[in-house]
Amino acid sequence: MPNMTLSQICVMAILQAIAVVIFIFIVVPLTTFAERKVLGYLQDRLGATRIAGHHVGITGTLNRGMWRMGKLPFFSIIRGLPVFVGDIIKLLVKEDIIPDKADRMIFMVAPCLSMIASIVVFAAISFYPGALFTFPKAFPVVGGLPFTGCISDMNVGLLFILGVASVGVYGIVLGAWASNSKYPLLGGLRSAAQIVSYEVPLTLSLLVPVVLSGSLNFNEMTLRTATQMPVYAMPLLFVGFFVYFTCGFAETNRTPFDMPEAENELVAGFHTEYSGMRFGLFYLAEYINMIVVSALCVGFFLGGPFLFPFGLHRFFVGVPVIGAPNALWFVLKILFLLFTFIWVRGTIPRYRYDQIMAVAWKYLIPITLVELAAAAIIRFAA
Amino acid sequence: MFKNEEMEINMGPQHPSTHGVLRLKLKLDGEIIRHCRPVIGYLHRGVEKICENKTFFQGQVWTDRMDYCSAVANNLGWAEAVEKLFGITVPRRAKYIRTMLNEYNRLASHLIWLATHALDIGAMTVFLYAFREREAVLDLFEAFCGARLTTTAFRIGGLREDLPPGFEKMARTFQARFLACIDEYETLLTENRIWKKRTIGVGILKADDAIAMGVTGPVLRAAGVPYDIRKAFPYAAYDEMEFAIPTKPEADTYARYLVRLEEMRQSHRIINQCLDGLPEGPVMAKLPKILRAEVNEVYHPTECPKGELGYYLVGEKGSTNPYRFHVRAPGFINLQALPMMVEGTLVADVIATIGTLDVVLGEIDR
Repeated sequence: MPNMTLSQICVMAILQAIAVVIFIFIVVPLTTFAERKVLGYLQDRLGATRIAGHHVGITGTLNRGMWRMGKLPFFSIIRGLPVFVGDIIKLLVKEDIIPDKADRMIFMVAPCLSMIASIVVFAAISFYPGALFTFPKAFPVVGGLPFTGCISDMNVGLLFILGVASVGVYGIVLGAWASNSKYPLLGGLRSAAQIVSYEVPLTLSLLVPVVLSGSLNFNEMTLRTATQMPVYAMPLLFVGFFVYFTCGFAETNRTPFDMPEAENELVAGFHTEYSGMRFGLFYLAEYINMIVVSALCVGFFLGGPFLFPFGLHRFFVGVPVIGAPNALWFVLKILFLLFTFIWVRGTIPRYRYDQIMAVAWKYLIPITLVELAAAAIIRFAA
Repeated sequence: MFKNEEMEINMGPQHPSTHGVLRLKLKLDGEIIRHCRPVIGYLHRGVEKICENKTFFQGQVWTDRMDYCSAVANNLGWAEAVEKLFGITVPRRAKYIRTMLNEYNRLASHLIWLATHALDIGAMTVFLYAFREREAVLDLFEAFCGARLTTTAFRIGGLREDLPPGFEKMARTFQARFLACIDEYETLLTENRIWKKRTIGVGILKADDAIAMGVTGPVLRAAGVPYDIRKAFPYAAYDEMEFAIPTKPEADTYARYLVRLEEMRQSHRIINQCLDGLPEGPVMAKLPKILRAEVNEVYHPTECPKGELGYYLVGEKGSTNPYRFHVRAPGFINLQALPMMVEGTLVADVIATIGTLDVVLGEIDR
């Protein structure tokens, strides 16, 4: 950001951070709610429709209102919306148990570690390569400055994202270890092996857009991969997208790679001993990670704020509406990927632990290596 | 400096995938099972002893509570065992209705097996789809006898009531859509790569091992042995029905999955034959008010959804109660094969194997 005073930089960073955190805490609970509803509809049922206290008080009024709303065609989908507020209240007020034999300190730090790692990643993510709006001149301190929605437009953005995101696994492993219990231990070991393995193809697949765009800055990568790719680089982005998104499932511990918490095998995996808001932090971290993975996916492979993915935008330059960048496209694409996370969960079973490893080492890593070589050749030729 | 140790872990009796209160003592080397011993008895109520203190009429109520997923099949075994003991002939119409309900019960039981087995492996949508159809089957039970789970569907000598009005229409509606439902489950699982990876070659139980262990039912048939009591020792109206016994040679979890799905299709076929050929006539044989036994013993095997369900009854002269009652519960005997099937495999395979054995603890512990 050019020519800003220290106070301006600080205030801008704080304002943008607040905006991002608000965004996260609106989208995340909505995602948990969407998960219930989408899974419900996939499975021939209604999902959440009402909240506790069916007939009395505020909840009763809400429930009756929702019941009436449910009779309208579209609104029946969002019936039960207050459930996510109820979920948060429940998590907050529930008794928080720390097992006697647990390592208290680490047990308490671990969920925060997971949560912090997933939130901090947002510092380098940008939804729009420019100003969303500009503060009016009359504003104190920040008057006339652009609001970008990106807390820090750092030149090593991707490196930062990968570095911080990989701290999240410590939360899981330490939480599992500190529980001093057998099922969490198994879950923790699984996740250590799984996440470390998947970090390799994940990073390698992200190197493809890095090589192609020649930058580590989030905005520049998005712009270049979305608009300036030669035609023969598009298949690379296409394959890269699938590899990255697959690894994303593993990184976020979602079905079919939900080994660390495989509920039918390890009870609840690494968070078996957690309850109350500490469990809630793990739970929210998982959903924030989903958003992070989706955001990176959209940014680097699906064209970011440009409607067309894999660099196809160049064929539509100048077409009104669909040819122009818009933060809305970014958000819509994220929502679609979040929907895909839920959709996959409703559709396919879970891999076995050794099979997950085989997928990473035998398929994904060779694919990404070949891709990376191809990207380097394209880059060299261009 | 480092020492290797096997980790002992308790799977169950409170665990999401041990289907009730089964407890497994596992010794793990990493994720590999080195040793597995099932521990049972958490649901023991002493059904056999209780039945010895009840009259023959009262005993049937307890059979509902053994394999609660297939109560009708348990009822049928009891009713027929007692009829065999007293030499009672059941009217042909009652036999047909019994056969039909028994096959509906097989559907309900296999559906619940499919649902939980798929859920254990992580396919949660199949769970709800299968429960949707099971619901329709339970509605049929409810229409017939008023109860959905603990049916006590039959009486010694036949049925208490004929089919209620409207039953046939309900049954036909269900028949019309059920085959498409099985196809729907198949689209989600049969060719699913992950499902195949998780089930093919998992929990193998070869034919000779299965026979040595006394394993019966779909588990045995998936090992290539076409042994089905409905054909081998026909009871109810099975000798008049036309159906095939599906078998597979692979003897793994996937083969058992395919065998059970095919069995559901065959059940559907049998029900159609029952509905089409339902004879007219009474549904209850003439019986004395009190059944007093002679010194006599019977063993009556039936093909319950899980395997061979045998009732062994000994009568005592002049007594209204059985002198001795013993149940050969298929789940109990099939569970014996579990250690053999899982030792040397991974933790996730234990879950798949428990699911494929289709254990119901109510029947195992009795």
